[in-house]
Amino acid sequence: MREASFKIIEHTADIGIRVKSSSLVSLFKCAALAITAISSQKQKIQYPKKYEIVIKQEAEGLEELFVNWLNELLSVSSAEALVFEDIRINQISEKFIHAVAIGIDIRNYKINTEIKAATYHQVKVKKIGRIWQAEVIFDV
Amino acid sequence: MYEKTSNSIKLEKVDDYRWRIPQSYKPGMRVPGLIYADEKLLKDICQDKAVEQVANVAFLPGIVNNSLAMPDIHWGYGFPIGGVAATDIEEGGVISPGGVGFDINCGVRLVKTNLEYNDIKDKIKDLIYRLFSDVPCGVGSEGDIRLGEKEEKGILLKGSRWAVENGFGVEDDLEYTEENGAMQGADVQAVSGRALKRGRSQSGTLGSGNHFLEVQVIDQLYDRQASDALGLNLGQVMVAIHSGSRGLGYQICEDYSRSMLGSLEKYKINVPDRQLACAPLNSNEGRAYLAAMKCAANYAWCNRQCLMHLTRKAFEKVFGSSWQKLGMFLIYDVAHNIAKIEKHEVGGIEKKLCVHRKGATRAFGPDHPALPEKYKRIGQPVIIPGDMGRNSYLLVGTQKAMQETFGSACHGAGRLKSRTSASRSINPDMLLKELESKGIIVKASGRNTLVEEAPAAYKDVNDVVEVVHNAGISKRVCRMRPLGVIKG
Repeated sequence: MREASFKIIEHTADIGIRVKSSSLVSLFKCAALAITAISSQKQKIQYPKKYEIVIKQEAEGLEELFVNWLNELLSVSSAEALVFEDIRINQISEKFIHAVAIGIDIRNYKINTEIKAATYHQVKVKKIGRIWQAEVIFDV
Repeated sequence: MYEKTSNSIKLEKVDDYRWRIPQSYKPGMRVPGLIYADEKLLKDICQDKAVEQVANVAFLPGIVNNSLAMPDIHWGYGFPIGGVAATDIEEGGVISPGGVGFDINCGVRLVKTNLEYNDIKDKIKDLIYRLFSDVPCGVGSEGDIRLGEKEEKGILLKGSRWAVENGFGVEDDLEYTEENGAMQGADVQAVSGRALKRGRSQSGTLGSGNHFLEVQVIDQLYDRQASDALGLNLGQVMVAIHSGSRGLGYQICEDYSRSMLGSLEKYKINVPDRQLACAPLNSNEGRAYLAAMKCAANYAWCNRQCLMHLTRKAFEKVFGSSWQKLGMFLIYDVAHNIAKIEKHEVGGIEKKLCVHRKGATRAFGPDHPALPEKYKRIGQPVIIPGDMGRNSYLLVGTQKAMQETFGSACHGAGRLKSRTSASRSINPDMLLKELESKGIIVKASGRNTLVEEAPAAYKDVNDVVEVVHNAGISKRVCRMRPLGVIKG
């Protein structure tokens, strides 16, 4: 398999994703970039400046950490009017993530879908054999 | 006993419009579930996980009577969309951010005009284009109303009154808004800096997704007495505005959903879904969320007030007359994602309850003290928007709703198809043509929104309202059909 990939999960009101990956780092990164892929479409770049935002999150467990991570990215992107195009994860454990999200001005994108937040409803993060798998439902 | 099966749940038929989930379905349920639906709607309802979610809500500490679901119920996160649950505050009753949702005080207001269809039929396109240009909409849209920190805090405390004090409406508008456009007890200290930042640039914006502004015409009257009291007639042009608390509300829900995960352990609360995280109303966590939620609710009322102001101004430009002369008065504004502290009878005793309405509308019956004098005789206006191709309804609340549903009714048509499935099967150009052939002009910020919100993605609101009416928890007053819609 590729290092990581995601698929859309059907949900009546909202949108979910299922992510598969060979490592926890790429699982978290792929889910983060799935937000950009689902919500926006790149246009002609008019504001090329890139912004590096440090993201640190803690939680009681991996599933909670996964939701908190995605919510922090959604929240920062909304507050700072950025779209994240790349992620550098410096450190990750079951209860902690330290990463840098690299964003660009939202005006370079056409936003198709507003993702309000990631939810804890039916969130799953687990390792099956050698593959990491995660599921999360976003409120849109 | 007649039974119907949803996945593994056997539903018991109470009557033609009510179905019970027995309390014995899952150990941990404190009350039964009760779904308002007819056989036709129940078939769709049983397709997804909404029924299971009704059962899950029944786990909430302090819940009384039933975990309720309205006929527009569908799968949500934590609570189903269309769920109503009331908890007894004195019996350890909880409040759950998931029982309100991310878009706190998402709601709808209905404005009447003295225009008739014939007055506007040749101007609909101009009007919709003008509204689309003057009312900021779309994802992350920013409004012309620029707020400093002080102004924003004023909005969180004063709600619609802030808008009226700043020239975006008149005193009468407050009279016809649920809670007069501001819940008392909002506390800005309970709102995070991030939430404030997200809210600052989005006041006076419609947003995206299922939010809309729609010009409609009344095509059916059901109740002459109520129509007269509301000043409504066949052929009259109306405007519906559907929006919420934007990024401010999302952030407050997120902040407290997260912190209340800790409350589950602290207060030894067992719920089957973490999105049902909650805390007792009589706890610091519960009180803090309620105070923050009220801030977002007030922000949303102010937002819809500003949107109505922009709408009035757009009408003035197109029709060359003042909004007062055009008769653009507010019928009512209702919240449909909210938690409220209300008094209701439980087992013949009046109790102070926290009523969660997640995709459900308050529907107080006649003579309720919360109603404006003008509506005391007929009951509270209940505004039910449908999809952009079918109808919307105005109903009024009933005494039966007070007895059975804590004064609540449905909030819309309810989704039938997922967004992805709608996007796969609906062509946006064909959809626009189809709507235009029905005389409906649509302007949308994005083609995605258009197909995701297509009529085929929704249940038929006519079926949903029929159940609410026949079950007696609200009474039909009139039906509208859309003439033009702007979508985010």
